[in-house]
Amino acid sequence: MIIYLFVLSGATLGATFLYLREVSLRKKFQNQEEEKILEKYREEGLETLHNSIQKSQAILGEAELEGIKVIASSKIETKKMEEAVDSQVAELIKESQETINKSQAQLIQFMQDLQKRSLEFEETSKKTTQERINKVFNSLEEKLADFLVTTEQKTTSSIELELRAARNLIDSYRTQQMKLIEENIIAMMEQTLSMVLGKKLSLKDQVEIVYEALEKAKIDKFIV
Amino acid sequence: MENNIFEQILKQSYSLSILKHRIRILKSYLSGYFFNGPKEQFKTEDQNFLSSLPKDFYSSFNKNNFNEIFSQFDQNISKLPALTIYLAFEPSDEAIERIGTKVRQLFSPNLILDVKYDPRLIAGCALVWGGVYKDYSLKLKIEESKDKILESFKKFLR
Repeated sequence: MIIYLFVLSGATLGATFLYLREVSLRKKFQNQEEEKILEKYREEGLETLHNSIQKSQAILGEAELEGIKVIASSKIETKKMEEAVDSQVAELIKESQETINKSQAQLIQFMQDLQKRSLEFEETSKKTTQERINKVFNSLEEKLADFLVTTEQKTTSSIELELRAARNLIDSYRTQQMKLIEENIIAMMEQTLSMVLGKKLSLKDQVEIVYEALEKAKIDKFIV
Repeated sequence: MENNIFEQILKQSYSLSILKHRIRILKSYLSGYFFNGPKEQFKTEDQNFLSSLPKDFYSSFNKNNFNEIFSQFDQNISKLPALTIYLAFEPSDEAIERIGTKVRQLFSPNLILDVKYDPRLIAGCALVWGGVYKDYSLKLKIEESKDKILESFKKFLR
């Protein structure tokens, strides 16, 4: 086994040596080829570079020229543009001014319309209010008149009733008083006569009246 | 005798109250005379009455018959026919005497009056005899003419 291992290792080492040697040889050859190619390329590159520089300088010249042209053209365009812008701005300002004026006019018109409508509304409102007030006053007058008429009728009726009651009361009182007077009139007369005759009749007159009474009793045969 | 004495007093006395008063005066006077009792001070009219009696009137009295006679007087008074008379005025003694005289002329000499006062009669008189009342006053005449009077008054009231 160990032998196999030694053989294998030696084989491996030998293979490795051979490989490294081959690599080294190839590398050495490759470097020589590369230097030739590089030189060639270097020359070609330098030429290309030179060409490129020339071309680039030409391009730069053209570019500068073109740039100057562009700048000049740009200045003109800019001026034109400025003029156009100024013109447009002026136009815009003008339009804006007109628009503003128009808007102002519209606003004034609107305000005038509004004022007019307001006045109309006020007038209408005033008229309506006046009509309502008149209506209310008319209604109030009518109601007041009705109320006054009703009250007058009621008052008159009440007064008539009161008067009738008062008249009835007076009539009743008068009747009662008349009845009382009638009932008491004789008593009043008797009392009056008693008072008057008691003072006015002399003793002789009183005695004479008694004599008449006694003679009447005699005639009546009251005393037998 | 007692009756004779009584008649003498009765002759000049027309009402019961006067009669009784005079008999009381006489009794008082004779009582003082016979029994030395307290002597009463008489009014002028009473003195006049006593002096108006005749002298033989007093000779009829003595201590012994004094009480008997006055007892008899009381009996006689109760038996007297009394005519109650209501007058509309308060009569004086003179008025009573005049009315009494008239009554005795008209009806009976022994009639005695029982005088009462009733101002409601207005004038005239009302009589009571034997328990019967009879009105002869002006008040009755007015009552009888009440309807006529009322009619007359109503003319002024309406």
